[in-house]
Amino acid sequence: MSDMTWVPVANASDLAPRHVFQGRLLGQELAIWRADDGNVNVWENRCLHRGVRLSIGVNTGSELVCQYHGWRYANRNAGCTYIPAHPADAPPHTICNRTWPALEQDGLIWTHFAPVDPPRPESLGAGALALRPQPVAAAPELARAVLAGLSPEGFGPLGQDLVASGPAGRLRLMVQAADAGRAVLRGLVLSDEAPLPLLRRLSLVLRLARDEIERRAATLPVPAPIPHRSERVAPELAEMPEMVSGPARIRVRVAKKQIVGEDIVALELAGLRGTLPASQPGAHIDVALPNGLLRQYSLVNAPGETDRYVIGIKREAQSTGGSAAIHDSLAEGDLLAISEPRNNFTLRRDAEETVLIAGGIGVTPLLSMAAALRDEGLPFTLHYFAASAETLAFGERLALLGERMVPYLGLDAAQTTLALQGILKGPGADRQVYVCGPAPMLDAARATAAEAGWPEAAVHFEYFANTREIDTSSSFRIELARSALSLEVPAGRSILSVLQEAGVAPPSSCSQGACGTCMVRLLEGEPDHQDVYLTGAEKAAGEKILTCVSRAKSDRLILDL
Amino acid sequence: MPTLYDFDLSADCYKVRLLAAILGIPYDRHNVDFFPGMKHLSPAFLAVNPLGTLPVWDEGDLRLCSAHAILVYLAERHAPGGPWLPRDPALAGEVQHWLGFAEGLATSAGAARLAAGMEFDLDLAAAQARAHQLFERMDEHLWFREREGGNWLCRTLQPTLAEIACFPDVMLSEEGGIAREDYPALRRWSDRVKRIPGFEVMPGIFPAKIGA
Amino acid sequence: MSPQTQPDPFMRDQWYPVSALQDIAAGTPRVTKLFGQRVSYRREADGACSASTEDRALPVLQRYGCLWTSLGTPGELFEIPEYTEADRRNVAAGTVAVQVSAQRGIENFLDMGHFPYVHTGILGALPHTEVKEYNVEETPDGREIIATECLFYQPMASTVSTSGADVEYIYRVPHPTCSVLYKSSPLDEKRLDVIALFGQPTGEESFRGHMVLSILDDVNTDDFISYFQLHIFGQDKPILENQMPKRLPLDPRAETPIRADKTSIMYRRWLTRHGATYGVIPAQG
Ligand SMILES: [Fe+2]
Repeated sequence: MSDMTWVPVANASDLAPRHVFQGRLLGQELAIWRADDGNVNVWENRCLHRGVRLSIGVNTGSELVCQYHGWRYANRNAGCTYIPAHPADAPPHTICNRTWPALEQDGLIWTHFAPVDPPRPESLGAGALALRPQPVAAAPELARAVLAGLSPEGFGPLGQDLVASGPAGRLRLMVQAADAGRAVLRGLVLSDEAPLPLLRRLSLVLRLARDEIERRAATLPVPAPIPHRSERVAPELAEMPEMVSGPARIRVRVAKKQIVGEDIVALELAGLRGTLPASQPGAHIDVALPNGLLRQYSLVNAPGETDRYVIGIKREAQSTGGSAAIHDSLAEGDLLAISEPRNNFTLRRDAEETVLIAGGIGVTPLLSMAAALRDEGLPFTLHYFAASAETLAFGERLALLGERMVPYLGLDAAQTTLALQGILKGPGADRQVYVCGPAPMLDAARATAAEAGWPEAAVHFEYFANTREIDTSSSFRIELARSALSLEVPAGRSILSVLQEAGVAPPSSCSQGACGTCMVRLLEGEPDHQDVYLTGAEKAAGEKILTCVSRAKSDRLILDL
Repeated sequence: MPTLYDFDLSADCYKVRLLAAILGIPYDRHNVDFFPGMKHLSPAFLAVNPLGTLPVWDEGDLRLCSAHAILVYLAERHAPGGPWLPRDPALAGEVQHWLGFAEGLATSAGAARLAAGMEFDLDLAAAQARAHQLFERMDEHLWFREREGGNWLCRTLQPTLAEIACFPDVMLSEEGGIAREDYPALRRWSDRVKRIPGFEVMPGIFPAKIGA
Repeated sequence: MSPQTQPDPFMRDQWYPVSALQDIAAGTPRVTKLFGQRVSYRREADGACSASTEDRALPVLQRYGCLWTSLGTPGELFEIPEYTEADRRNVAAGTVAVQVSAQRGIENFLDMGHFPYVHTGILGALPHTEVKEYNVEETPDGREIIATECLFYQPMASTVSTSGADVEYIYRVPHPTCSVLYKSSPLDEKRLDVIALFGQPTGEESFRGHMVLSILDDVNTDDFISYFQLHIFGQDKPILENQMPKRLPLDPRAETPIRADKTSIMYRRWLTRHGATYGVIPAQG
């Protein structure tokens, strides 16, 4: 049956730049589109949110955007990268459109519904031309039968395999079973004749064949259409999740290692098989290094850069082994284990203006944000503080930002504060600030923003690390409301490690109160916040706690676990 | 300032609004409640246009009462010698061919839309069948135009009035129950029309850029 | 799909609009469809209206600018108390046929998130896309869903200002295919304009939407109000007609709801609880 072999579903020329082709195979509606990087996507023609056809959406070159609510789906992995109705949330990884394999050969786009790739279709040879497709309102089997009886001039009889050779060249016709009562006649021709008259001649052959097929179909009952089948979404999605992250481990290969600034290397990590999960601007991954260390790195990826993850690593003078291991020991071709991207630094795209402030290697998540804002044509400026011009990282990516990247080089602490005061002057409604860099600079930016009257909710931070001294001297009890457990946290141990021992731990990542991954809801008790992730207002509200570093001032805490 | 007697959801009126937007021609819009009010048959409007048809372009001493006549007038008046109405005899003939073809689209795809959406008493199935025939001819024409390196209906390097006249009834066809799935070259052409500088939408048609 | 599909009791025993009263002239009967059945209606010489199928007379009701009828035994039609306020204008703004189920149409009417994308520059504008937290609940008698404190950014939020601001909406769903929306009046911020969508299921996958307004506007003409409503509905139509499947799926895992969709989640559950099967795809087991 034709769903177990590669079937042509479009001509390569159908996939014009920034266009979405509407196709159909065995009743399944398809949205087929080519990204600017050349990759061909064959997707279910349906937005997962409210079932609107993606073929009426927009191909941005890197993503497909639904017309109804602006949900964005990434090239290649089809993961949802942004839900505009909730600009501060990272979409769960499980929101992922259904995809099928795509093969481009002989000027045709092929796909199949088989569980594993069937053998590639035989090529007609270099220089093969794809015919103009001819839709037919009839059963595909009937279309095949009529085509088998054709004998196009110069090619001779086609026969059951629909292939003919003659003085005019070689011809192969195919029937795309669009539906039970619909087919598309497709074909390839290899010939020395001038292409245009030949294509016109064969287009007429197919049109007359169509007339004959439909004449015969008129005497037969009309087959019932095959219903479009959609898969059910993941159960947790039906429950309106706030945010989801999983502990999945992904194996990647270092596809490229490149110096992108003084003491800075970039790694491009490619998946070993299948596509990488979708990421969004601001997301980071955990990287398990060969020496056993686990480190967090922000993704630099621009929209549509979905065939690899790109991270930037600076050699730290007091390296505990992470950056030195990467700089000195890691080579192209090496394998690494990483986590799915997690995002605690999400980029809202509903601001009138976005201010990005980077310090040193803290530029990495902001580069990803800048690329997304640039692609969408949203106003922003990237203010980049660095020791010198040589330490500016990712020069090629910076160049794409033009004048929207403003460098500040070699400033001391006082000069930095002065510059920040200039940047953060006059908070406006609908402006959002994102800051990432070393702790002293973040603290300065935070203080400056507060003085200038920025609302805390408009100022977003990502610390690389929590450099504050963690006080672990207290001891207290924790009660887990949903698990009905009561546990002792002794001095010297974290809540997280106690939870891990009991098998009820939330996902965690940095273990130093910087990334926010291990946050849980606090139902009762007075927290002793020691993290740098929560805002002042969030800390004061006392409704959330980072279990890796924070503790209790009261005798007990009740956690929503 | 000229006045356009206009109905928002009319494909013919949209042709005029679209060209005026692309050429940057200012005008006053006078809304005539064709549906549901049937005001095009009111004495007040019949005094403007005894035929009772929309659109009407009124410039004081000049009053034009057909969409294609208005397109020709606006192109010659505001962009004489420009690409919209070529002077080359063969190309001028081609443009006229497509203006005539567009009349056929209006009485097939356009009629199907009135029957399906606004419940006009018309033969919906016949209108749909005729529209599919015309769409197929257009798709084939455009497919071979692409093979020749052309983007537009006429053998021109730039869009002409042929695009303006044919685009609305093609793009609104789904409202008449006429899917365009079988016409990929037609779908690509309509994407190109949406990218003409100054392009403007109407209800039922989406822009080429999200939220534009 | 087949016109023979019978409505379930919950759907059947409701009042449905079949026409704006202003569109019914005395004399010749007019024909429309309800649940795939031919229904004819007419105005008698004395001003009264009647409706019937081929073999029986149907009950009728003249309310909210429309003629209502039913194929079953309907209870009371829901109340819109504002409709009778003396200083309001009541406008029947038009009827549009849409090739999708009436419940899909109602769900779209309850949705704010699409304003900046579908009603660009009118009911919303980029980059203001956030649907803020709002409240939604069923009335204690279970007859109606109400969403309150719904805020959404609207450019040119009132006739007196040219800048954008959050506008407050209240949504009511008192009927499986009718919804009533309240929105602060651009002319009097303390009072609410009423915009209603009354859905007439002509088939499982098609409906006629009758738009009725009760507003405080004494500036704009009826023609303009009708123009505006048809413009908005005309923008929704291609979205609705490109939804797959055309019937509203009630399986919670058929589509992906988000917090912004709280009202529609409640609407789908409410339809399930009442045993609706017509125009929807019921949840399995
Ligand atoms: Fe809408």
